Amino acid sequence: MDASDLDLRRRTYAHLVETGRAPRADDLGDRAEVVAGWRRLHDQHALVLNPWTDEIRMLNPFSAVPSAWRVHTSDRWWYANCAWDAFGVCACLHADGRIESSCPDCGEPIVVEVHDETPDDESLLFHVLVPAERWWDDIVYT
Amino acid sequence: MNLFRSEEDLARWLGGRESGATTTVAKLSELAHAWWDDRVSPDWVPHTREQNQAILERLGLTGRFWQLP
Repeated sequence: MDASDLDLRRRTYAHLVETGRAPRADDLGDRAEVVAGWRRLHDQHALVLNPWTDEIRMLNPFSAVPSAWRVHTSDRWWYANCAWDAFGVCACLHADGRIESSCPDCGEPIVVEVHDETPDDESLLFHVLVPAERWWDDIVYT
Repeated sequence: MNLFRSEEDLARWLGGRESGATTTVAKLSELAHAWWDDRVSPDWVPHTREQNQAILERLGLTGRFWQLP
């Protein structure tokens, strides 16, 4: 990853953290140049684009689109991509938080408060369906 | 990558599919903090595969299932 792509990635994440939403390409500069850079970052798993629109789908651990994982931290609600990423939102913002989702089986609400990196409900189980070697085969499914 | 209230909920959700790996939510939080800690840092650089594998191994997430490509 060269310096210009690292800088584009840094500006992309900074926009998200500052505004609470993923940037559009023209928020960051010339649209064609930004999209070309985003595609290179996508290929290196540094972000995930919607393949049909070249809009950002994931700035892991954040989701750029509404998801089943909502996280309240740093005075804002965020979307995450999965359970791992929901805790990741608190981790990367270095803040306590509240994670809200629901059980995929029974639909009952799941609410976890995270304080000092520790969840307040230790009865929950974290399940990963896809083996690590295949996570990026289809990261949205993973 | 989901949270479940119980093993019974997980088994029903799998519906006969092969299960993957299950850990505690406390372990998940440790993993997330080790994995994502630097993600919005202005000084972020990509983790190597070896760095990420070391995070998994340090947390006891070992075996074929947790082997990164």
